[in-house]
Amino acid sequence: MYGNGMTGAPASRISDFLVPKASFFRWLDSLRESFSVVGPVAEEDRTVFREIASADELHMEYASTMLSPGKVYLYSPREDLFRISFGKDLTIEEPPRSPVQRIIAGIHACDTHAVFYLDRTFLGAFRDPLYENRRSNTMLIALNCSAASRNCFCSSMGAGPFLKAEKGYDMLLTDLEDAYLVEIRTERCRVLFNADATQSADAEVFRRKEEKERSALRTFTKTINTDGLDRALRENPEHPVWGRTADERCLSCANCVMVCPTCFCHDVVDELSMDMKTVRRYREWDACQDARFAEVHGGNFRARRTARLRQFVTHKLDQTHQYGVFGTVGCGRCITWCPTGIDLTEMAKAIQTRKA
Amino acid sequence: MTRPRLGFFKFSCCAGCEFQTFYFQKHPAETLAAFEIVFAKMVLRGGAPEGPFDLALVEGTITEAWQADELKKIRKSSALLFAIGACAVNGGIPALKALAPELEVEGKVYKNLSPIHSIRPHPVDAYIQVDGYIRGCPPGERDLHEALTSVLAQKKPGFLRCAVCVECKLKGNICILTAYGMPCMGPVTNAGCDALCPTCKRPCYSCFGLMKQANAPALAKKFRSLGLSESDIRRKFTLFDADAALFSKADKLNED
Repeated sequence: MYGNGMTGAPASRISDFLVPKASFFRWLDSLRESFSVVGPVAEEDRTVFREIASADELHMEYASTMLSPGKVYLYSPREDLFRISFGKDLTIEEPPRSPVQRIIAGIHACDTHAVFYLDRTFLGAFRDPLYENRRSNTMLIALNCSAASRNCFCSSMGAGPFLKAEKGYDMLLTDLEDAYLVEIRTERCRVLFNADATQSADAEVFRRKEEKERSALRTFTKTINTDGLDRALRENPEHPVWGRTADERCLSCANCVMVCPTCFCHDVVDELSMDMKTVRRYREWDACQDARFAEVHGGNFRARRTARLRQFVTHKLDQTHQYGVFGTVGCGRCITWCPTGIDLTEMAKAIQTRKA
Repeated sequence: MTRPRLGFFKFSCCAGCEFQTFYFQKHPAETLAAFEIVFAKMVLRGGAPEGPFDLALVEGTITEAWQADELKKIRKSSALLFAIGACAVNGGIPALKALAPELEVEGKVYKNLSPIHSIRPHPVDAYIQVDGYIRGCPPGERDLHEALTSVLAQKKPGFLRCAVCVECKLKGNICILTAYGMPCMGPVTNAGCDALCPTCKRPCYSCFGLMKQANAPALAKKFRSLGLSESDIRRKFTLFDADAALFSKADKLNED
């Protein structure tokens, strides 16, 4: 188990290999017998994470997906919690834990960090049994990024483009043209790994890795200065950028929240049967941009659009007191998928430079 | 247990909401079993339109004076009254005539206007207080089910109030507005349809009506940047919401 993402078994570096790509994908294909293998697949002109029927389907050079694999396959957009039946006695039936053993292959550094963030929520003070079950039944094969997309700012957040964490996932890939540098992080993955034509990675291979990282870092166009950022946001709740962006551009559509890989809020919904004999209780992603979200008895503490927009942005760029880290991993999805292109890094800059 | 007495009333509309309630939703048999149908023209001959009712469902826009009188009577004889469908909730298609002067609209359809007693179209809550809104054209399965079971359980219904975008993302649909530049009304439209059109890669045309927190001017600006003309944009915002859109001109942010 991975604890809250901060603890867990000490992950010593077990083995590092140089593996020809063809050989790596043959190995991945062989795992489909006992695992549901999920990876980036090109569909029309977009890439989505879904279960693959062959490693040939994988599109490992993808830029970014609309939804992060962690949020879809470890968390879940919608899932049943339990069913209550009112008969002679009241019975509560939980759905059986999914026995699926899964591998998520090709998850980027930012999205791996986002999983660590979800771990802090769902495996923290309260351990969510559904999340915990999937997290322990899922192996993560992370992939270092060769180039940044237009809205990536993970390098500013310390969450990419190369993954520096050494635990909390199972394997790390670095693309070295015709081969992958494979760094195995867990015992369960070491036991499983038997790709052919592998050779152990020597210092030269790691030199090539460093070179790749330097070249990836040069591709970033978006940055954010995190120095004193949380304080700057906290001290400027009435900065005009909030109201102006809310009035002129924010649609309250919640796309930013829904595509955010670290947004963890969900609503719990009861669905009563028409014969009033059973209740299905399920949860589904919820969004703070929905006016109803902060509605409580007697009022709504974020009735204004400005307050809701500020809630999202400050949860990503302030509120470091919650888990000791920023809520953003710098994936840039909220910018890419905002219909009006609201950019939280630009809002932060306006506040940091005290510009109205 | 006594079954709640249900009345279903229709004003200017296609009667699709009554069909949806009694025939097309997933639980028609359960609905007929759970409620005592006192008045509903599609399922019951005759009936007692005078009530009393535990729940009245009212579909259709109010477009004639007699309808407003009828509606007030129904309100008085009903413990709970829900507006059902785009016409009753937002004005819907019949409210399109709100975009032109009454006489001009009537003249386009009728040669002899002497038997026409049409009035400005309004959703039902312009005339009476409404206890709940079951949105959609036709109403979405989830809100309809929530409304009916809430009455049975005597609780406040939890209707969806977020944007269609939320339902799209729950399904993992690639956003057709940001990815493909289709003029989708999803970001300002109340959810409840399970993102039916965007799932089929068709832009939402807002048949569920503007959600309460919608920022219509901001989306209109986006549409302008996609190359839509002012009249195209106006048509998009007034197809189902003509009555409300006139209001939102004055109250640009249309928020609480």
